[in-house]
Amino acid sequence: MPDNWGFVAAAYGLAALVLGGYWRYLRRREREIYSEEATSQARPVGATAPSEVSPRDSQGSGGKAAARTGKAAGR
Amino acid sequence: MSRALGWLTALGLAAGLVLAFGVAPREEIQGNVQRIMYLHVPSVLVAYLAFAVVLVASVAYLARRSEAADRLAQASAEAGVLFTGITIASGAIWGKPTWGTWWTWDARLTSVAILFVMYLGYLLLRAMIEDRERAARYSAVLGIVAALDIPLVHFSVYWWRTLHQPPSIFKPGPSTMPPVFLVVLLVNLAAFTLLYAWFVTKRARLLRREHEVFA
Repeated sequence: MPDNWGFVAAAYGLAALVLGGYWRYLRRREREIYSEEATSQARPVGATAPSEVSPRDSQGSGGKAAARTGKAAGR
Repeated sequence: MSRALGWLTALGLAAGLVLAFGVAPREEIQGNVQRIMYLHVPSVLVAYLAFAVVLVASVAYLARRSEAADRLAQASAEAGVLFTGITIASGAIWGKPTWGTWWTWDARLTSVAILFVMYLGYLLLRAMIEDRERAARYSAVLGIVAALDIPLVHFSVYWWRTLHQPPSIFKPGPSTMPPVFLVVLLVNLAAFTLLYAWFVTKRARLLRREHEVFA
């Protein structure tokens, strides 16, 4: 039977992509969490963070633009 | 701890690759394409482990409502889906030159596909329910039910006539594999287990921070 190195490379390459992709996802998430943590620590006590305002709340007060940009609210 | 585990994992994966491509001999019948086995078999065994951990953590969550158990279940399910995906893809790639087809609806392949879809559903369910307690409870039930498919996957090659070969390791009786192949396979299995442990540790810790920061 021929060696089919192309199939071997495809299998290992695909696995490397998937595992590497997940590793990068974890790294990105870690950075997001730490930066959010740093922001909330730097914020004065009692102040509301933009990410703590839910899109529904801001719609209720007429802030539809804020609702569209409030991407962190659902997390 | 996590950093040390990360380095150990990297070392294990490098050793596994060196053994798979530099030490393991070319298989007589299949040729070099058989080297996919050192990726395919460890992936599926680690996926079994991941889903077994989901099962135990789900039972622990339902019994004690422990948030740590819930985080462990979620982290392990994510890793399990990843390794099952790699198993299916590498199996299809290995199947084309050896069986002449990428996919066939035989019992082993179909039961693995069902396993993959069930745990994808598990992750979707978690993501869809906003209330954390309810998401944890529902997914714990699904995590227990889905685990019933694991023995079905493993024993399908005995219970039905399949194109897929019987297990290479973890089967009754002594291994029929030449020792050098077995050693390389076990080293790769150890490396994949370390990778799984590292992913789960990191993901579970991130989930805890996520809940603290975004709560």
